Amino acid sequence: MDRNDIKKWFKSPDKMGDKYSLWAIYFCTGCGIIEIPPVITARWDAERFGVIPVATPRQSNLFLITGYVSVKTLRAIIRTYEQMPEPKYTVGFGSCPINGGMYWDSYNTIKHLDKYIPIDGWIAGCMPRPEAIFVAVTHLWTLIDQGKAKAYVKYREKYGLYRKNQEMALGKLDWPPLYTTGGGND
Amino acid sequence: MISALKNDLESIFKDIQISAPEDDRLIINAQKDAVLTILKFFKDKGYDHLAMISCTDWIEEDEFELIYIVGSYSVYAPAAEDITSDKSGVSKEAAFNGGNILLKTRISRKDPRFITAIPVFENSEPYEREIHELFGVDFKGHPRLTPLFLEREYKIPPFRKDFDTRRYVKDFFDQIPFVENKEK
Amino acid sequence: MRELELYFGPQHLGMVGNFSITLKVEGDRIIEAAANPGYLHRGFEKLMELRTWIQNFPLVCRINVVEPDPMEMIYAMAVEKLANLEVPERAHYIRSIYLELSRVSSHLFGLWAYSNMLGFDTVAQWAMYHRDLVLDLFEELTGGRVYHIYIWPGGVRRDFPDGFKDRIVNTLHTIGGCVPDYDAAFFNNRLFYERSKGIGQISQEDAKRLGGVGQVLRATGVKHDIRKAESYAAYNSIDWDIHTREDGDAYSRIWVIRNEMIESVHMIFKLLDAMPEGDAYKKVQNPFKWKIPKGEAYVKIESSRGELGLYMVSNGGDKPYRVNFRTPSYTHGLTILEKMLRNASIADVGNIMISLYVVAPEIDR
Ligand code: SF4
Repeated sequence: MDRNDIKKWFKSPDKMGDKYSLWAIYFCTGCGIIEIPPVITARWDAERFGVIPVATPRQSNLFLITGYVSVKTLRAIIRTYEQMPEPKYTVGFGSCPINGGMYWDSYNTIKHLDKYIPIDGWIAGCMPRPEAIFVAVTHLWTLIDQGKAKAYVKYREKYGLYRKNQEMALGKLDWPPLYTTGGGND
Repeated sequence: MISALKNDLESIFKDIQISAPEDDRLIINAQKDAVLTILKFFKDKGYDHLAMISCTDWIEEDEFELIYIVGSYSVYAPAAEDITSDKSGVSKEAAFNGGNILLKTRISRKDPRFITAIPVFENSEPYEREIHELFGVDFKGHPRLTPLFLEREYKIPPFRKDFDTRRYVKDFFDQIPFVENKEK
Repeated sequence: MRELELYFGPQHLGMVGNFSITLKVEGDRIIEAAANPGYLHRGFEKLMELRTWIQNFPLVCRINVVEPDPMEMIYAMAVEKLANLEVPERAHYIRSIYLELSRVSSHLFGLWAYSNMLGFDTVAQWAMYHRDLVLDLFEELTGGRVYHIYIWPGGVRRDFPDGFKDRIVNTLHTIGGCVPDYDAAFFNNRLFYERSKGIGQISQEDAKRLGGVGQVLRATGVKHDIRKAESYAAYNSIDWDIHTREDGDAYSRIWVIRNEMIESVHMIFKLLDAMPEGDAYKKVQNPFKWKIPKGEAYVKIESSRGELGLYMVSNGGDKPYRVNFRTPSYTHGLTILEKMLRNASIADVGNIMISLYVVAPEIDR
């Protein structure tokens, strides 16, 4: 961080705090998880960017969705996402969450993850390299700075629509709705 | 050893076809009711490792084929020693010790039922559960034929040949709208 | 005391991979455990029926994320067997070297997971760093860090580049030179002994009865390795040993893994020395027009987790009719895990699971 940043700190300390402490939830969703251990250990060292893995959703504010999402995992992802405190950021890692990737015709994987939970950014590639994660993180910083990383706000506002999509995929959900806002038809 | 095994089998069991396409493979086609006894026979002969149970959907013949692949732990060790100590003189018998036996049987596709192999090989439990889920074959005597992998229910079990996954994806996943589009 | 049902995973620190276990507990003793896989089920075997023989290569390697190379190997072997393809001698050597490198990288990954879980963070960092060095080799050879798609029916995709042998030797010396450090910090450490001795113990009979393979079996004293029993590639042409231990607990399993890793490094040196000159692949006809004769094949190899099998049926078309993988984690993660967890304590679940070396995508496929 250089000197000019200090001014920014004073202007909006919460934003800076968000930016430099992106704590990623430790959840191995798909095959992309194999690049996470190298990224968080000595060679690539994600801690330079303030990214560390944490154990529970309650402590985290970054959700890296590493790879394909099967229908069964989707349920766990929604549960985990809803437990994370705001502000929270989601990044889809790999081409599978974007559009199904090479499992475009599989009967058990979700094709477009953003139909079910909101996503702030995507990392394309199959499998993306560790550098790509860092590019994504710096990109996310910019978005946070500009106030554009607002997926969680969208989730709150359009919760009804998301919930409807989730129920279409998973059947009846056995937990109560998180918000009452954003019902289907408003 | 392979010829001995073959002769043994032929003398004990009727109604089976045996072929040995390679030195270390034995393919047996058996009737439904003989399967467990043949498995037992192999287990007593030292083929104590059930590598897997597989299922193939022969839709044109309207049959499922169950394949039991049996190998061995115990006869490996001497054979392995032979191979390292005396490379040139590996006999056919020694090499065959590591072989596999493919035991196949056919069941009807309309009413897919079979009996469980758990009494003979305990590790057949997850395989049968998987075949039950993905092909819809019922194994009598299996303690828990509950879903293993799938979350949703499918009208046709997904690994059957008449289940069209591309069609399913179109009909199901593509119907779910994007949140952005719906607003407009 | 009251019985409770506890859901362990998929989002859990003690869980490597997307997998979950339903535990029935009384106090902190587990009465019954039911593995609950399927979080990574993609229906591979179904998808492979819809793709041509050559299109399936990118798919197969995604079955096991930690070490995709044995998957390519086994699929290539099955295709070769069905289509009656010959492989040149040099390609056999290259394949073995490549597979052993992948075994080293996969064992280092396992070591990372295990030592991390036991709280040996330093060792975990080393292991992951050393694995990355091996990945650099892969990257130079194939262009991909994790997925390589290097083995091909009829050989390998391309020969070793210039000076690659030296770089393999260099990297392996770097890793091998740290073995004393690993030993001092981890393997001979009393804490490691005390945290893993007697955990997840299984007797030889039980391991055989429940279909254990690989380290799980070798840690109970069975000398069983497909590389010896049904030798493939070039494993038969060099001299090497199967390492076993007697106790069948987590401690023995990790020691078997350590010894195997060192053996693999030695094997690579021997293979590099014995490697003949020649072609690295045989020219095959245009793979996009392949039609493979009717038939079926069962092939098996030793992946770093144990016996990996593939049953494949062709009906004479340009696509496989049926593929079915027998993956080592399948029995380990379902039957053996459930058996070991009975009467264990909740704190040991992660320990047992990781010491069994279970890779979840391999179970679900
Ligand atoms: S994008 Fe590629 S690497 Fe990532 S989950 Fe999908 S198949 Fe795996």
